[in-house]
Amino acid sequence: MLPILYVLLGLFRPTNENWQIVKQYLLTDYVLGSAKLVLFTGFFAALLGVVLAWLVVGYTFPLRRFFRWALVLPLAVPPYIAAYTYSTMTSYTGFIQSTLRNQFDIKLPPGTIEIMSSKGAIFIMTLFLFPYVFMLTRTFLERQSASYIENARLLGRSRLSLFIKVVLPLSRPAIISGVMLVVFEVFSDYGVASYFGMQTVSTAIFQTWFGMYDVDSAIRLAAWLLIVIIGLFVIERFLRRNRQFNATTSQSRPLKPQQMKGIAAWGATAFCSIIFLLAFIVPLTQIIVWTTWTYHKIWRADFIDLMVNSLSGAAIATAVIMIIALLSARTARMLSSSLAYGVSRLMTAGYAIPGAIVAIGVLAVFIALDQRLSTVYEWLGKGEGALVLSLSLSMLITGYIIRFMATGYNAIESGYEKLPRVYTEASRTLGRGNTKSFFKVELPLLKGAVITGFILTIVEIMKELPLTLLLRPFNFDTLATRTYQYAIDERIYDAALPSLLLIGISLISVLLIVRLEKEK
Amino acid sequence: MNFVAIKHVTFRYARRQPPVIDDFSCTLNKGEVVGILGASGSGKSSLLRLVAGLELPEKGSIMIDGMMMVNDGLYVDVENRGVGMVFQDYALFPHLNVVENIAFGLHKLKRAARKERVQEMLELVQLTDYAKRYPHELSGGQQQRVALARALAPKPSILLMDEPFSSLDASLKTSIRSELRQILRKAEMTCLLVSHDAADIEAICDRSIRIQKEMAEATA
Ligand SMILES: Nc1ncnc2c1ncn2[C@@H]1O[C@H](COP(=O)(O)OP(=O)(O)OP(=O)(O)O)[C@@H](O)[C@H]1O
Ligand SMILES: [Mg+2]
Repeated sequence: MLPILYVLLGLFRPTNENWQIVKQYLLTDYVLGSAKLVLFTGFFAALLGVVLAWLVVGYTFPLRRFFRWALVLPLAVPPYIAAYTYSTMTSYTGFIQSTLRNQFDIKLPPGTIEIMSSKGAIFIMTLFLFPYVFMLTRTFLERQSASYIENARLLGRSRLSLFIKVVLPLSRPAIISGVMLVVFEVFSDYGVASYFGMQTVSTAIFQTWFGMYDVDSAIRLAAWLLIVIIGLFVIERFLRRNRQFNATTSQSRPLKPQQMKGIAAWGATAFCSIIFLLAFIVPLTQIIVWTTWTYHKIWRADFIDLMVNSLSGAAIATAVIMIIALLSARTARMLSSSLAYGVSRLMTAGYAIPGAIVAIGVLAVFIALDQRLSTVYEWLGKGEGALVLSLSLSMLITGYIIRFMATGYNAIESGYEKLPRVYTEASRTLGRGNTKSFFKVELPLLKGAVITGFILTIVEIMKELPLTLLLRPFNFDTLATRTYQYAIDERIYDAALPSLLLIGISLISVLLIVRLEKEK
Repeated sequence: MNFVAIKHVTFRYARRQPPVIDDFSCTLNKGEVVGILGASGSGKSSLLRLVAGLELPEKGSIMIDGMMMVNDGLYVDVENRGVGMVFQDYALFPHLNVVENIAFGLHKLKRAARKERVQEMLELVQLTDYAKRYPHELSGGQQQRVALARALAPKPSILLMDEPFSSLDASLKTSIRSELRQILRKAEMTCLLVSHDAADIEAICDRSIRIQKEMAEATA
C-alpha cells in the first residue's frame, strides 16, 4: 500500500514548471478524453450486458444455453489485441475492404469505417468488456429475481415494461458492480487508447514520464486520477449500500424462462450471434489466420525466452500473492468482523487502481529506497548513485503484487468462508498447534481455492500491459509487451502468434470462472 | 481432591452483551460421566468450549487433573490441555480417511506405537472394516464413532461431547447410547456430555447438572 500513499502525497509536493505547461495545454484534453471513454463505454457496456443477460435469463430461444456461457468468452480477448485486430481488418488492405473490392467490386469511400478514433475505442472497449456486466447481472437475475418477475408477469406487464420497470431496478446492484469493473478497466487501459491515438489520463502518465522525463508531473496526474477512482469506489459502496446482494438467498429459486416463439426467438438468437461473432469469433479467426502466415518466422528460440519470461515473472508474483493472501485471510478470520472487513477491503483495493498509477508509486518508492541504500551499495563497491533495486525485476514483481492481490485474496477468502472453523478447533484439541493445524488441515482443504486463485492471478498478470511496460527491467519482454511492440511497429501479422497464446491463456481462466459459477 | 474443578466462571462473547455463563461452578471426579442439561441457547456449548480452551473466560478458574488450565493470570493453549472433544457435527477431516483421522492426534507417538493405538481404537468402536473409508462414505452413526475414537486416541484426561446424538435418527440413538456408555466405562473416561434430551443423559451419565433457566433467559 505504501506506493499508493506515495502517489497521493504527490498532490502536496510543490509543483514544477512543466506541470504548469501540462496543466495549461494538455490537462483538459486528457480529462475529457478519459471522461468520454469511460462514460460511453460504461453506458454501452451496461446496455449490452443487461439486455443480453435478460434475454438469456428471461426467455427461451434457440442456442440460449450456449450463449449463457459463450457470451462471457470475449473477456478472454485483451482489448488492446482486439484493437489492432479490428483496425487492421477494417483498413484499406484489410480483409473486409479487400474482399468487398475484389469479389464485389465495391469501393468504400475512405473513412467509411474509421476504427482509429475515439468511437472505435469505445466500440472495442464495449465489445470486449461488456461481459463483466453480463455475467454479474445474469447470475443475479437467475438466483434472486424469480418471485418478483413472476409476479410482474402474472400482473400482465408487457415485455418492455417488465424490463424497464422491474428487471432494471431489481438488478441495479449487479449492474453497478459490473459497470464499475468496466470503468476500472477503462481507466486502467493504456493499449487501446495509445494505439488509437487517444488522449487519456493513463496515456498522459506515459507521455509525461517517458516523453518529458517528468516523473513529478506524472505522479501528480496519477494522484488526481487516483482521487477520481477513490471517489468512484465510495460511490459504488454508497449505491449498493441499501440493497444487499444476498438478501433472500436462502429461499430463492431459479427463474423459469418464458417461451419465446417465431421471429422474436430467432431475432434473439441472431442478436446474440452477432455479438458473439463480433466480440469473439471474428477477431479470433482473424488472428488464427494471421498466425498461420507468420508462425514459422516468429516461433524461434527467443520466443521460448519470451514465454519463460512471462511465465516466471507472473509465477513468482502469483506465488507471493497467494502466500500473503493466505496469511492475511487467516488473520482476518481471527479478528472481529469489522476489522476483518477492513483487512479484506484493503487487500482488494488494488484492482481498482490503474496499472500506470501502481507503476509510478512503485518506481518512486524503489528509487527512494535505492537512495537510502546508496551507502550500502558504495560499500559493496557499486559506485555512487547506483540504482540496484529500481533496475531489477523485483520492481515489476512488486507492482504485480499490489495490482493483482485482489484476485488471489478473493479466491482464498471465499475458500475460507466455506471452511468451517470447527476443523481447526478439532485439530487443536487433538494437540496440534496453530501452525501445524494450518498446514495439516486448512491448507489441504483450501487446495481448490488456492489452485483457482493461482490460475486466475497468473493469467491476469500475463495479460497485463501498462504496468509491465513501465516497470520491466531493460530488455525484459513478456508476451504482452512483445505483442504490443509488434502492433505499434505496424507488424500486425507478427503480433498474431503471441496474441493467440495470450487469448488461449486467458481462455483458461474464463472457462474456470464459468465452471466455478456452475458449482455454486 | 476433585479431578476437574470449574470455579466461578463468567464468560461473554461480546463486551456489551450480558454474560452467556455467569458465575458457574462445578466439579467432576475421576472416571465420572456427567451430563449437562439446559435449554437451547443456555450456554452448554460455550461451557465445553471454555473447558477445551477454545474460549477465554472473563473471570474464574478451570483446573483439570490437578493442573491449573486458566485463571486470572494463566492460560494454557488448547493444544496443550490434553482435552478430547467430540463436536456437534463431528468435524471429521474430509481429506483424511478413518485411520488418518484417528491417527491425527497421535503425532507424538512412534510409528509402530501409533499403528497399534489406531488398531486398538478401531476395535474399541468396532470399525475395523471401515479403516480406509473417507468420512463422506460413512453413515451418521459410524461418523460419530470415528469422532469418538479420534478424541479418545491421544488418551485425553477428559472427554467433552457436544450433542453427540443430534445428527442421528431416533432408532439409531438407543443402540448407540448403550454402546457409548460401554465404551466410556471401558476407557475409564472422565466425561462431560451436553444434551438437551434428558433421556440421553439418564442413559449414559452418572449424574447431571442443569444450567439454570434464569441464566438462559438473561442471555436470550
Ligand atoms: N460465536 C458467538 N458469538 C456471539 N454469540 C454467541 C456465539 N456463539 C454463541 N453465542 C450466543 O451465546 C449463547 C449461548 O450459546 P451456546 O451455543 O453455548 O448455547 P447452547 O446451550 O449450546 O445452545 P444449543 O442447545 O442450541 O446448542 C447464545 O445466546 C448464542 O446466541
Ligand atoms: Mg450447542
